Amino acid sequence: MLKNYFTLAIKVLSRRKFFTFISLFGISFTLMILMLITAFFQTELGGQAPLGKKDQLVYLDYITTFKQFQDTIPEVDSTMIDGVMRYDTTGYRYEDSGRSISRGPGSIKFWNTHMMDIPFVKSRTIYMSRQSFDIFINSNKLTFSSTFTDGDFFNIYNFKFLAGAPFGNQQLDNQAQVVVLNKEACKSYFGISEGNFEEAIGKEVKLDRKNYEVVGVVDRVNNSFGFLKSDVFIPYTNAAPEVLNRERFNGSFSATFLAESANKTKKVKEELVKRSKVIPLPNPEQHDQLEYFPATLEERYAWTIMGMDKPEECYKYAIGALVFLLTLFFMLPTLNLINLNISRIMERSSEIGVRKAFGAHSGNILFQFVFENIILTFIGGVIGFILAYLLLNTINGSNFLNGTILSFNYQVFIYSFLICLGFGILSGFLPAWRMSRVHIVNAIKNNQL
Amino acid sequence: MIKLQNVSKIYRTKTIETVALNNINLEIAEGEFLSVMGPSGCGKSTMLNIMGLIDEPSEGSISIGPNTIKDYNGKPIAKFRNENLGFIFQSFHLINDLSVIDNVELPLLYRSGINGKERRAMAEEALTKVGLKNRMKHFPGQLSGGQKQRVAIARAIVGKPSIILADEPTGNLDSVMGNEIMDILLDLNQNDKTTIIMVTHDETMARKTNRLVRLFDGSQVS
Ligand SMILES: Nc1ncnc2c1ncn2[C@@H]1O[C@H](COP(=O)(O)OP(=O)(O)OP(=O)(O)O)[C@@H](O)[C@H]1O
Ligand SMILES: [Mg+2]
Repeated sequence: MLKNYFTLAIKVLSRRKFFTFISLFGISFTLMILMLITAFFQTELGGQAPLGKKDQLVYLDYITTFKQFQDTIPEVDSTMIDGVMRYDTTGYRYEDSGRSISRGPGSIKFWNTHMMDIPFVKSRTIYMSRQSFDIFINSNKLTFSSTFTDGDFFNIYNFKFLAGAPFGNQQLDNQAQVVVLNKEACKSYFGISEGNFEEAIGKEVKLDRKNYEVVGVVDRVNNSFGFLKSDVFIPYTNAAPEVLNRERFNGSFSATFLAESANKTKKVKEELVKRSKVIPLPNPEQHDQLEYFPATLEERYAWTIMGMDKPEECYKYAIGALVFLLTLFFMLPTLNLINLNISRIMERSSEIGVRKAFGAHSGNILFQFVFENIILTFIGGVIGFILAYLLLNTINGSNFLNGTILSFNYQVFIYSFLICLGFGILSGFLPAWRMSRVHIVNAIKNNQL
Repeated sequence: MIKLQNVSKIYRTKTIETVALNNINLEIAEGEFLSVMGPSGCGKSTMLNIMGLIDEPSEGSISIGPNTIKDYNGKPIAKFRNENLGFIFQSFHLINDLSVIDNVELPLLYRSGINGKERRAMAEEALTKVGLKNRMKHFPGQLSGGQKQRVAIARAIVGKPSIILADEPTGNLDSVMGNEIMDILLDLNQNDKTTIIMVTHDETMARKTNRLVRLFDGSQVS
């Protein structure tokens, strides 16, 4: 029976090439796009090194200091008393007339005097990732991006060290001229080949006329987080004096807090906001209020894409948009299938009538058409799998995403495939169910055989 | 065996009302070979379809054996059709996407307890009977009208039903072929005790059967 249905299904599908093509296209295209999206998010937010503790992280990239100016506007009240206009000029009205505002990363002073000892925080790092160094080797120019940071950086971000070790807070305090290089930088600077990174340890790198001793080499970072992808990591005490000694709150450092556990991130965010209310500002005549919006990794990610003030809102919008898009993407093959199925099954009304006349019951008919759709979806799934695989490989090979490597998530593929299958069954079921209930004679007379 | 009581079939559209069958009372005994004649449009096919339980009467009742039919859509009636009824339609109604042998096997698909091998063997036997064994692998589109008719007959007899309903089974055939088909039906009737109801325009064919019913404008006239 199944074999019979199978050969018939293949026959019908190959006879109706256009229908088959459109359906297969819908299914496989949807699967491919879904796989691309999940592979992308998997790479960005999936918790690969150095984001192994991603669920415990709270970000504070920007702080805002501002002052609200108010204008005093005299109010004139006019009343008619005994036929004479009287004017009362004793009232005043206050109106916001403007804001003086400054927004951006914070200074070392801000972080180290006011943002220590936050409850529920296990560890904290600050980092500056603005400066790049031009390096000339044998008349070749290299440009190294840098992150100036502290020793905690390497506790919070579990970089994979290919050689050596990170610098610690001791070296930070001693203003030690040491550096952690990323693998690519190490290769291009020393000409070291893959697997021999130990050779670089102890050698010197010259950045801006200063010599730094290489203490560690880290593996490439596979996501798009700039401050983690830097070529060199340097103790921030080596930064320029005007960076180190800046008195104002606004500066060039962002911070990542490591919560005691994943479920404490909310508490950490609350404590951080609480803290912003009690910190005295250094020059209140200019700016007298401090405001910032702490964010989890995902919220920060949405924030970097959408650029609105509040990361939490960005995240909500982003999730909403994503759900909307995914729904749309699943609807594409479903509507397509339902539509095509209706006409396809109507066209076979006479066949349905004949089958019923010879003893098929409604269940048999339903099963036959649903089975055909399952086969169709299955073929679509296989094509989708191949397409997604090829697409990911092409993207990875072409360096299109700046060295980001996308990997194929089999679990998500299975789930998406099952969803497609569900829709396939549904889209075959509805029209077949309707047709299976038509009177036999009427079905047969719908004479298209 | 089959009993029609006061059966009428009326088609209503917005503008006209067609009385296809008008108060038919008819009883067909087991093993009988009945032919139905009448001018075109008099209701022969309608009556045959109602007897074959693939159409419902507007009024009246139909009983097969001791059972009066009420539900036309359930599993039991489907099983009954499958085991007891074999149709030969006026315009063949073969499934074009299936090969000849698969078309003939179709009724057996819905019968439990028969495996693929047995199905194939039974279908081959039926095709041998109608002289089309050498066309098994062909598709209906590759057959002549007479050959299609014979495939339709093979499909109707493959399940060894107790009742065969044939709507002009020889209408598309020359007299030689027509006689061969008639011989097959007569053989089924005489040797397998199959009850046969056959619509025909051919007096000589009708004369070979046990009994003749004539319809005119939906009413039985003899
Ligand atoms: N679905 C329908 N809707 C309306 N009228 C119908 C329908 N089916 C059949 N009729 C009418 O019922 C009458 C009987 O039709 P039927 O097919 O039974 O005739 P017939 O005797 O088999 O004719 P023929 O010898 O040409 O096959 C005809 O007048 C036909 O127009
Ligand atoms: Mg007719």
